Amino acid sequence: MNCRALIAEDEPILAATLARTLETLWPGLEIVASAPNGIIAVEQALALRPDVLFLDIKMPGRTGLEAAEELLERWTDDQPFPQLVFVTAYDDYAVQAFERAALDYVLKPVNAARLARTVERLRERLQERLAGRQADGFERLVEQMRAILPPQAAPLAQQQPLSVIRAAVGNVVRMIRLQDVVYFQASDKYVTVATAEGDALIRLSLKELLAQLDAGRFCQVSRSSIVNLDHVASASRDPMGKLALSLRGRQDRLRVSPLFAHRFRQM
Amino acid sequence: MTTLTSSLPLCAPPPARLRRMADDLGMSVILSAWSAVLITLVDGRPAELYQQLVYAICIGVVGMLVLDSVRLTFWDDPVRRRRLMLPFLALLILMAPVAHYLGCMLGGLLLGAGWPDLSGYPKRMHVQMILLTLLGISATFLIIVNRERMQRIQAERGEARARAEAVERQALQAQLRLLQAQIEPHMLFNTLANLQGLIAIDPQRAGTMLDQLIQYLRATLGATRAETVALADEFAAIDAYLGLMTVRMGARLAYRCHLPDALRRARVPAMLLQPLVENAVLHGLEPKVEGGEVRVEASARDGRLEIVVRDTGLGLESGGQKGGGIGIATTRERLRALYGEHAALELVPAAPQGALARLTLPLEAA
Repeated sequence: MNCRALIAEDEPILAATLARTLETLWPGLEIVASAPNGIIAVEQALALRPDVLFLDIKMPGRTGLEAAEELLERWTDDQPFPQLVFVTAYDDYAVQAFERAALDYVLKPVNAARLARTVERLRERLQERLAGRQADGFERLVEQMRAILPPQAAPLAQQQPLSVIRAAVGNVVRMIRLQDVVYFQASDKYVTVATAEGDALIRLSLKELLAQLDAGRFCQVSRSSIVNLDHVASASRDPMGKLALSLRGRQDRLRVSPLFAHRFRQM
Repeated sequence: MTTLTSSLPLCAPPPARLRRMADDLGMSVILSAWSAVLITLVDGRPAELYQQLVYAICIGVVGMLVLDSVRLTFWDDPVRRRRLMLPFLALLILMAPVAHYLGCMLGGLLLGAGWPDLSGYPKRMHVQMILLTLLGISATFLIIVNRERMQRIQAERGEARARAEAVERQALQAQLRLLQAQIEPHMLFNTLANLQGLIAIDPQRAGTMLDQLIQYLRATLGATRAETVALADEFAAIDAYLGLMTVRMGARLAYRCHLPDALRRARVPAMLLQPLVENAVLHGLEPKVEGGEVRVEASARDGRLEIVVRDTGLGLESGGQKGGGIGIATTRERLRALYGEHAALELVPAAPQGALARLTLPLEAA
C-alpha cells in the first residue's frame, strides 16, 4: 500500500529528520511535500490531499491546531480526510490535551521507537479505511478536535456586555443594535457586521468580540464567524455535504464548521 | 595580635572617647544645675541660687571628670567591668567627699570668694552635702551608663535593619537573576531535536551546534552564580544563542552583533541582554512567516553604556509582546534594584517594522 504524507514543520532540519526517520520506518510512504509554515501547510494539504499529515504545533502563520481547524472547515468530502499527527517539542498543556482527546502526537526530539508505534497505528487505520471497514475517521477527528478546543470565551466580568455596535460605513459611523446583527464574519484585520440592511466593518478581533457577547444568543459557527441565533431560519447540507445556515432577512448562507455543527443538530 | 589589641579598651579611637566624655560632662552639668535649683528651693534662699549653681556644677564636673575617665578607660570591657565592680563602687564613695572638697574650692575661686574656709573639713553641714554629692554623682553615673546602653541598642538595631535590608536586596537580586536565567524547555527540546537531526545529516555542523549549546547553557546557568560579567562574555552568550536559533530557523533568521573593543571589558549584570534578545526572536521573528533580522549594538555615550536590541519582527502590537512580557518586566526590576534611577529600559516600535529595546546604564569599567 502506497501512502502519501505531508510534513508541516518550520524548522528545516527537523522536517528533514522527520522525513528521514519516516523513510526508514515506513518504506511505502511518500513524503509529497514539506510546508514551512501553517498557511502553506493548509494550502498544500488541500492541493495534494495526503493520507497522513504531520503538523508541528508551534509554527508561524498558523499553529498546528489552527491549521487542523481550518482544514476541517475547508476539506471537501470527495476524498478522505488525512490522518493527523501532531508534533510538539515540549508543551505540557498540549500533550495533556492530546492524551485526553486520544489524538496522535509525537514528541521532539523524535524517538524512533515511539514514532514506529505511531506509524503502526497509522498503517492499521489506513488499511481499515481502504477495506471500507471504517469511515475516513472525519467524525472521530471532529470529536477529538472539539475536545481540545478552548470553550467559548466566557464574558469577562469587568467588561460591559456590548449593546450597540459602532461600525464604520464609509465616512459614517452606524450605530447597530445587537438584535439587528445577523452575523459577524472575520476577514484579515476586520470583522464584517452583517445586518438585514447591509454590511459594516469594525476593527476588533473575533475573540475580543465573542467575550463581550451574550453566549445564549450569539454562537460561534466557524473559525471566522459568529451568528445571532435569533436570525437563523434553518440549517441544511449543501450539495458538497457542508452544513450551512439560512438567515432571516439575508439572501446569503453562512457555512458552519464541522467543529460547531453539533449545535445545529435536530433535538 | 590585632584581635588582642583591638579588644583592649585603651585602643578605642580617642576622638570617640573624648566625645563620649564631653557628652557625659554635659549631662552632669545639667543634673548638677537641677540639684542646685532643688537645694535652693529646699533652703528657701533664692538669692543664693547663683552661688549654688556654681558650686553644684563645679562639684558635679570634678566628680564626673574623674569617675568618667576611669569608667571610659577601664569599664568598656565587659569582663573587666565585672571584676572592677567593687573597686569602682569604692572609688565612687571615696569620690563623693573629694569631689565635694575640690568642687567647693574651685567654686570659691570662680566666685572670687577666695579660698573657702575649709579648715576642719568635713564639718557637720558638709556631711549632708557630701551625701548629697554621692547621691548626685551616683545618679548621674547611672543615667550616663544607661543612656550609652540605649544608644548602643539603637545602633545595633539600626545595623540589624540595614543588614536585613541588604540581605533582602541580595535575595531579590538572586531571584530576579534566576528568573532571567530560566531556560525555556521548548527552546531546549527543539534545539536538542535539531542536534539529533544534524548528527545524522551533517555531523560537522552538529559539532558546531553542540559547542554553541554548551556556551549558551554555561552562560545561562552560570548567571545564577555570577553577579556581573564582562560585556564581551554577555555578547558571546548572545552570539551562541543566535547561532543556535539560526541553525533552527534557517534562512528565516539573520543577526548582527556589534561590540566596540573599548567596551569589551565593561561590567554588566549577568544575563541582562539575553532576555531582550530572546524576546526579539521568540515574539518578533519566530512567529513571523518570512522571518527577519536581529541587531545587537553596544555604544558608550556621555559615560553611559547604551545597548540596543532591534528586530524586524511582528512588532509590539501583535503577538504576546504587548508591554514586553515577563523578560522585560524582570529586566526593569533588576535595573531598579541595581541602579535605581540611573538605568533605564525602553521598548518602542522600530521603523519600518519590528521592535527596539534600548538599555542605558552606568558605564562600569573592569
